[in-house]
Amino acid sequence: MTRSRTALEIKGRMLSITRVRVLDADTAAIRAHLEQLAKQMPQAVKGMAVVIDSEFDADLPALLEAMRGVGMQPLAVSDGPLAASAKGLGLAVVSKDSGKTGNAAPEPAKTPPPQVASAAAASQRRPARIIAEPVRSGQQIYAEHGDLVLLNTVSPGAEVIADGCVHVYGKLAGRAIAGARGDETARIFCRKMEAELVAIAGIYAVSEQMKDSPRGAAAMAYLEQGRLRIEPHKI
Amino acid sequence: MAKIIVVTSGKGGVGKTTTSASFATGLAMRGHKTAVIDFDVGLRNLDLIMGVERRVVFDFVNVINGEATLKQALIKDKHLDKLHILAASQTRDKDALTTEGVEKVLNDLAQDFDFIVCDSPAGIERGAFLAMYFADEALVVTNPEVSSVRDSDRVLGILSSKARLAEKGETKVKEHLVLTRYNPARVAKGEMLSLEDVKEILAIPLLGVVPESSSVLTCSNSGVPVIREEGSDAGLAYQDLVARFLGDEVPHRFITEQKKGLFSKLFGAT
Ligand SMILES: Nc1ncnc2c1ncn2[C@@H]1O[C@H](COP(=O)(O)OP(=O)(O)O)[C@@H](O)[C@H]1O
Ligand SMILES: [Mg+2]
Repeated sequence: MTRSRTALEIKGRMLSITRVRVLDADTAAIRAHLEQLAKQMPQAVKGMAVVIDSEFDADLPALLEAMRGVGMQPLAVSDGPLAASAKGLGLAVVSKDSGKTGNAAPEPAKTPPPQVASAAAASQRRPARIIAEPVRSGQQIYAEHGDLVLLNTVSPGAEVIADGCVHVYGKLAGRAIAGARGDETARIFCRKMEAELVAIAGIYAVSEQMKDSPRGAAAMAYLEQGRLRIEPHKI
Repeated sequence: MAKIIVVTSGKGGVGKTTTSASFATGLAMRGHKTAVIDFDVGLRNLDLIMGVERRVVFDFVNVINGEATLKQALIKDKHLDKLHILAASQTRDKDALTTEGVEKVLNDLAQDFDFIVCDSPAGIERGAFLAMYFADEALVVTNPEVSSVRDSDRVLGILSSKARLAEKGETKVKEHLVLTRYNPARVAKGEMLSLEDVKEILAIPLLGVVPESSSVLTCSNSGVPVIREEGSDAGLAYQDLVARFLGDEVPHRFITEQKKGLFSKLFGAT
């Protein structure tokens, strides 16, 4: 008797995994941060595949519960203090630098605790999503695996999200999130910056924190050594 | 086939019912057979402002439930034989409106009328949604304040994504901005958003600016749509608005502060 079909097929497809580094062992602080993140970019957080990275022994069961609570899917921990408890909980343990993009920048001191840090290798890019209509208050637009190009205005109370870059050719008065799966090279461009919030790879600023940045002018937001910068866009 | 126009805003108390009453009256004054429907089930306002509250026998919900015919429920205006009113029920709850029921009433009305004006309740729930769902065009009523503009923006988003025309994907609902309770003196003092601010945020074509005016309240108390009031600036603004809607080129007025005593200036174009 011969079997013509094999039981498994091994495919080389890459999965995008986000590395989450724990900077503070306080479970309440972690939960608060995750909830905020989920509110800011619900589409990105939901189902997000995650590797947990920690330099110290954190309460892993509580951490898992908090992550699953907002819809994340923790798959593994990086080798280190969490490895032992991870094995007990049936999680994989991956080597310290698997899946890191390039040489990881040293952890910035100023960013809020536990943050979504660099993503795993970006999976295959899709063509940009182009929206001609204004994005109105209460609307949310997400470009998965690619750039989002908005030809009109983004109103206050509207949210535009991309795994790649966000380009706004009108006024940006709502919330813009680029690199929603952790791509730290993603950027936000707009012709008129009046955003309520901008975020790149989980590092964000609300308008109150943007006092020194250009308002009402063309601007670009990007990460530099893990810090969010918003600068006038000059040519 | 009638054209269906929703008068909507998101926020309450901005002038939707005032606008619906004057807009429908104005269309009828210009010779178009017009029906105006109150979608604000449970509150019932339009019939008061139109001065027909004592003639309501059957209402919109009665027709939807098959308890009365459309012909029985439509109230004919005393002054304008082209104008008909379909009142809201005061006693029913909001779930009395069904998509199929509303669609049937609108289809039946569309056989006989040129225009159907739907006065939307506040909010973005069922009644407001059904008022806008079947619309061909929308008058988005906004006051010059941030919360009102924000709610209008929200409604515009729903119109462009969830209205029947948007779902069919062929055309979209034609949007018109109606800025009401505009007070140029307070705008000049920086207490209210300016026309330019509102236009910039909402980015839809301006149909008309209606000034804040004490005649609106006196008219609605006496059951006369303000558009019928001779010499009222708000009434004139609604007449201009209707003319523009019907394709006339009418310059905007009442958008800059008027100096007292310059009577000619008050009625001149700005
Ligand atoms: N142009 C105006 N000037 C002064 N008062 C107005 C004006 N438009 C509306 N109002 C008043 O505002 C209140 C709410 O108006 P209404 O048309 O019932 O709003 P809505 O239907 O949006 O809730 C009423 O008391 C009305 O008299
Ligand atoms: Mg009303």
